Amino acid sequence: MTSDAVPADPRSTREPFDPADVTWTPVSRRLIGARLTVTAIVLTPILALLVLMAVLVGEAWLWVFPAVVALLALWIVWLVPRQVNAMAYAERADDLLVRRGIMFRSLVVVPYGRMQYVDVNAGPLARKFGIASVQLHTASPATSASIEGLPPHEAARLRDRMASRGEARLAGL
Amino acid sequence: MTSAPGTPNAPGTPDVESVEDVAGWRRMHPVTPALKGWKVLVAVLAIGWFQVGENIEQAIDLLHGRAFLLLLGGILLIGLIGFGYSAVAWRVTRFAVTDEAVHLRTGILFRQQRQARLDRLQAVDVVQPLLARLVGLAELKLEVAGGSGSAVSLAFLREAEAEALRAELLALAAGLQRPGAVQVADAEQPTAGAAAPQPFDVAPERQVYELPMGRLVKATLRSGTVPTLLLIVAGAIALSIASRDISAAFVLVAPLFGAVTYVWSRINQGANFRAAISPDGIRLRHGLTEARAQTVPPGRVQAIRLRQGPLWRGPDWWRVEINVAGYGQSDQQQRDTVLHPVATRGEAMTALWLVLPDLGVDDPTALVEAAMTGKDTDGGFTAAPRRARWVDPVGWRRHGVRVTDRALVTRSGRIWRSVDVVPHERTQSLGLAQGPLQRRLGLASFVLHSTPGPVAPSVQHLDAGVAAALLDEQAERARTARASATPEQWMRAVGAPTPADPDPEPTTTPPTEAQTDAPSTAGPAGAGA
Repeated sequence: MTSDAVPADPRSTREPFDPADVTWTPVSRRLIGARLTVTAIVLTPILALLVLMAVLVGEAWLWVFPAVVALLALWIVWLVPRQVNAMAYAERADDLLVRRGIMFRSLVVVPYGRMQYVDVNAGPLARKFGIASVQLHTASPATSASIEGLPPHEAARLRDRMASRGEARLAGL
Repeated sequence: MTSAPGTPNAPGTPDVESVEDVAGWRRMHPVTPALKGWKVLVAVLAIGWFQVGENIEQAIDLLHGRAFLLLLGGILLIGLIGFGYSAVAWRVTRFAVTDEAVHLRTGILFRQQRQARLDRLQAVDVVQPLLARLVGLAELKLEVAGGSGSAVSLAFLREAEAEALRAELLALAAGLQRPGAVQVADAEQPTAGAAAPQPFDVAPERQVYELPMGRLVKATLRSGTVPTLLLIVAGAIALSIASRDISAAFVLVAPLFGAVTYVWSRINQGANFRAAISPDGIRLRHGLTEARAQTVPPGRVQAIRLRQGPLWRGPDWWRVEINVAGYGQSDQQQRDTVLHPVATRGEAMTALWLVLPDLGVDDPTALVEAAMTGKDTDGGFTAAPRRARWVDPVGWRRHGVRVTDRALVTRSGRIWRSVDVVPHERTQSLGLAQGPLQRRLGLASFVLHSTPGPVAPSVQHLDAGVAAALLDEQAERARTARASATPEQWMRAVGAPTPADPDPEPTTTPPTEAQTDAPSTAGPAGAGA
């Protein structure tokens, strides 16, 4: 029964989300700060409100709610750095690889010739932290290849590189 | 204020000057407003009906005497407004066809100029709603891959005109030259586009299959909706018997109505379904009340799916659907993406052959049969390993993938069987996904991204190493296949086997040499004006 849970195929021992000939570029760790700030902005007022309510009402069991929110915050503080560390991208000669996730891992391969357009986004918070995100669009809406947490100059470089490589390898649909 | 420009060739839109030099603006057929104005009236009446529908008796009481006249007047007024609006809209709507693009100008208050490039043409449909059909008119729809609402609709034209225009657009999109232009091109410069354009010949076609009405009705009745419907009815009867109250059954009127609508729309859309092959591509004709004739040029089908529900297994029927960029952007366009509503196994093979004449294996029939009904490693498929049964106890033996020289074939589903085929050169991007359970078992799912449509190919629960290798190899295969794919202007690939073949004189048209390039060069554009 349990014997087949151990991969017999020698190929299986290779890490599927880490192809051999690829050097990954991690995203900027400043993304951790940006994401935690967003969390703080959302959770702080909620926490404050719940604490206030518990204090005013005076019932002991009401402290459960702020405790839950605090636990959630702690979990996010633990999770976000791990998530950000798992995000990486790699430029190969003909395609771009984007990797993310620890629990639910995904790897997307986007050929340059398939790229329809490239978005570079930076919101006010992201600008404060000095990061931007690059999203690649193909003719398929399923292609969810966005790279968050890039330094702006790197985002611009990537965008120009994508554009020039895409043009060189452009094909029809 | 600029609602109706007086002269046809002096557009009152100075801010859009790129199409100033486009000549030959044409109008739609003058009956168009009459056909379009109806919609306003029908919509208003429908809204009124739903408002009144609840308490119709009271409404009738109200309608004695002058109130009735008022209502009649109101309806008349709304009708007049509808027709008036349509008439003004018709006056300002114009279109023109050049060698590179179709231009369309519409809009009364907000002007719109739309330009659809012919080398990006994905499909051409001739649509005839019931009313238009009765008076011999048709709508011509051009699909370009540009997100929802990017289609160019030319409504309405005379039927013969629409057909001729379709032939012209397809020929131009294929990279053929106008019949009249050839002689001049031989002599010197291709300035002949300005000369009186001769009509293109309609490409010959050969019918490959048609769907008998009987099979369509039977198949629709077995499609899973109807058994559900019977269950609903049985439930209603049981409920009313149990509660000794007939009114309990009325709860189920709404689902009943929905199911009947569904069955009707399936039959209506699939009726008279015929498919033909021509140099222009695949031609599909179907529709009972609204007749549609679709043309999908070669290489425009991005992916194909064969599906079979449990009740279709006995007669071995398959529903064949395709992804075409431009189609299937919205849910209501589902009817456009059907290649065969109810195919026998042989017809399903034919449908697949229409899209992909060469599957890249010696025995395509065996391959497709293995994909349709096989499990594990039948027919050379790479299957999910045995440990995948922990994540998919029912269907794990059906998850499989086979790579041929030309396409990727995936199969899945034990009860609802499904086979997806994607030509390598139509791969958009690739992905690998792994959940926590899959990770523990050393499995991963492989996903292939295609353009929007009913087909979303993926292989679930492959061995992680196999999936990673597949991802790598498939990226490579897609790249090499793209490099040798047919160009967008498909006739240029085969050397244009028509009298209009410009091959002997390559001096005037150097861009034909660079076949694999994107046809962005403005070389022969001089002929456009």
